[in-house]
Amino acid sequence: MISHSFTSRSRCTLLAGVLLAAPSLLHAQRAAGTPFTTAQGEWPSHTGDTKGTRYSPLDQINAANFSSLEVAWRFKTDQLGPRPEYKLEGTPLMVGGVLYTTAGTRRAVVALDAVTGELLWMHSENEGERGAAAPRPLSGRGLSYWTDGKSARILYITPGYQLIALDAKTGVRIRTFGDSGAVDLKKQMDTPVLPDLTTGEIGYQGAPVIGRDVVIIGAAFREGGSPKSYRNNKGDIRGFDVRTGKKLWTFHTIPRKGEYGYDSWLNNSADDAGNTGVWTQITVDEELGLVYLPVESPTGDYFGGHRPGNNLYGESLVCVDLRTGVRKWHYQIVRHPIWDFDLASAPILADITVGGKAVKAVALPTKQGILYVFDRVTGVPVWPFEERAVEKGEVPGEWYAPTQPIPTKPAAYARNGVTLNDLIDFTPALKEAGLAVASRFKLGPIFTPPVLSKADGPLATLSNGPTNGGSNWPGGSFDPETHIVYLAATNASPSPLGLVVPAKGVSDMNYVRGFAPPPGGGRGGASMSVQGLPLLKPPYGTITAINLDNGEFVWQVPHGETPDAIRNHEALKGLTIPRTGQAGYSGTLVTKTLVIAGDPEVTTLAPRARSAVLRAYDKATGKEVGGVTIPAPQSGSPMTYAVNGKQYIVVAVSGGPYSGEYIAFRLPNANSR
Amino acid sequence: MMPESYRGQLRQRVRRRAFTLLAALVAIPLLASGAAANDVEVRRAADAAERTTWDSVFSAAQAERGQSAYKDACARCHRESMAGADEAPALTGSAFMSAWNGQTLGDLHERIRTSMPTDTPGVYGRQQVADVIAYMLQFNGYPAGAAELSKESDALKEVRFVAGKP
Repeated sequence: MISHSFTSRSRCTLLAGVLLAAPSLLHAQRAAGTPFTTAQGEWPSHTGDTKGTRYSPLDQINAANFSSLEVAWRFKTDQLGPRPEYKLEGTPLMVGGVLYTTAGTRRAVVALDAVTGELLWMHSENEGERGAAAPRPLSGRGLSYWTDGKSARILYITPGYQLIALDAKTGVRIRTFGDSGAVDLKKQMDTPVLPDLTTGEIGYQGAPVIGRDVVIIGAAFREGGSPKSYRNNKGDIRGFDVRTGKKLWTFHTIPRKGEYGYDSWLNNSADDAGNTGVWTQITVDEELGLVYLPVESPTGDYFGGHRPGNNLYGESLVCVDLRTGVRKWHYQIVRHPIWDFDLASAPILADITVGGKAVKAVALPTKQGILYVFDRVTGVPVWPFEERAVEKGEVPGEWYAPTQPIPTKPAAYARNGVTLNDLIDFTPALKEAGLAVASRFKLGPIFTPPVLSKADGPLATLSNGPTNGGSNWPGGSFDPETHIVYLAATNASPSPLGLVVPAKGVSDMNYVRGFAPPPGGGRGGASMSVQGLPLLKPPYGTITAINLDNGEFVWQVPHGETPDAIRNHEALKGLTIPRTGQAGYSGTLVTKTLVIAGDPEVTTLAPRARSAVLRAYDKATGKEVGGVTIPAPQSGSPMTYAVNGKQYIVVAVSGGPYSGEYIAFRLPNANSR
Repeated sequence: MMPESYRGQLRQRVRRRAFTLLAALVAIPLLASGAAANDVEVRRAADAAERTTWDSVFSAAQAERGQSAYKDACARCHRESMAGADEAPALTGSAFMSAWNGQTLGDLHERIRTSMPTDTPGVYGRQQVADVIAYMLQFNGYPAGAAELSKESDALKEVRFVAGKP
């Protein structure tokens, strides 16, 4: 591959006059030296804090008034890149009356007046070919804010994997940071990124997390079901100095020769293996000085024959020192990962009381719908894990872990394996049709291994977790006052785990994800729907509240209106079907009294026009207490803040034909009629 | 069964077209020199019965071409099963159906043509995108027919995506 010289054109538009008129920025200076917190009505970090909680104690918006929320402002993101974006996943920050967020197909950064939505400044980097080659393109999930009390910075990671530091007031690059305001994250890797800086595969779409002046950078790659090679770039995690951009440390998520865990990769396979990064949000305990890394799968999501052994730290929760990156403890959630159970959600730091004893815990939501809870100082499970024997598969050349750890508590909050009991059964005819669809697949409990795909069956193993099930990047929420964790989950999104020999020239893997071609020739394929209905039975999506003091469920409710396709289906006429909820990603926000989350799908239910709904639940009981319509599904997790005595909720919406938009809600003025 | 409110929209649309037809018939004799524009109106109005994705709007051969293009361009993210993955939304199932229900194939075509694939948007021409849509429709259980789905915006806008079987 030819190496292209990397050129960057950076743009910053400062809208004159606005800054002088923004009292909020003066406020930011007054607050110098004090850290901003959600308790003050700010939202200074991606999840509200660096602890993954998505919690704010604001209480002006409550059960009695939620449904009367009005749109305060909208911010359409179409013009922030060369084309509109339909997948806006950001959660903004709000500090000192200014809202900061990423948006648009170039991942521009914008600063908006938090009261009016007026654009204060915009910054974007045109990374040319390097941006186009990004494994994780588009607007990303957010950015981070830092202040030393005198000045303030916004930091974000471009699609082309540069860390950029901007002046929070003006959006201008901080020239003393890195190389004129940018650190090229494809450089300073302990193993060079191949083949070159332009096309070398690595990136990150999350918000960098900052703890005590250290910026921690994740690493992400292309989807891993059909990699071109079992060799790939390695997803090392690094810490940088937020003032200078100097690299402070590197943690090898794939151990190098001589390091702990190297021998968990047989035949020195750690040398070739790649991926194993952290593509979701990273969590930091600033008081303890510890970082929690939820690590993804090694190269080859469904076939691990080129990497025999348990493969540390693949699909492990790793705790490292914030200052040095040195490992304190780790726990491998899935041994020898072959299910694509990437750790996909930010670990949640929870100070709880178990059996009368205070525990500093970390709770990890997962794709498999299991919450793994550890003492976050020692790494010891709060409730013991059982070592469960699992089925050994028959894929030639694969290496199988004989057992997998399963927590004794809490119970799984989403379906993970797929058995006959999970199939559609609205009517006897649909049940029969569902059985016919399922008969082409191998079913089984969690950790049923992938199969070689055969046209006459099984085409694949079915599992709910791997691609879109359970929890994913929106993660969960935690209420530090009640010690209850809230988890939105997808319960009916079966993934086919089938392997085929790759076509010539496509990959050097022995097997990649796919379906065997049908006997008559042509290309394989299999629908998993039953007359347009989901193969798995409802609820399709839920929110679960779990008390972390005792590991018990407090409540579980379906989340999302029953989809039109179900409500209006001919075969279901005359049946009374309780609300099914919806499959899809739903980030939750928890306030003093509410759990707030939007529908992942639009529906049409008279008298409401075609729309999705941003819903509020009583956080104590799960009872739905209000809702407002949004024009498209919630596509990024909501956040909240207060300015001038008014509480706001901002949510990103997009999807299908609707391009990305941030919408801010607030209550009507008391004197308005 | 289609949603009641959607039926209402259709009825309104048909009524609106009937009115346009009437207006056009009245207008033509009066404005002979404006015939070209009015011809278009008449043709549109004559086609008052709107087509939907249930009206066999693509051919099997086109869907086969589309499958080939899908596999090359789309499957790496959206997957052969169209179930999507972490980053790519599903192109089948309830979320996809509800997102596009009531929109036109012109909307869908433009959406794909201008934004996909994310690393090189715009590299596929109108015909290829129309072929991929044909395959997506076939995959989702819509019937094939004799004629191909047009690649032209005006024609695509005349076909409405309807989730529920009429």
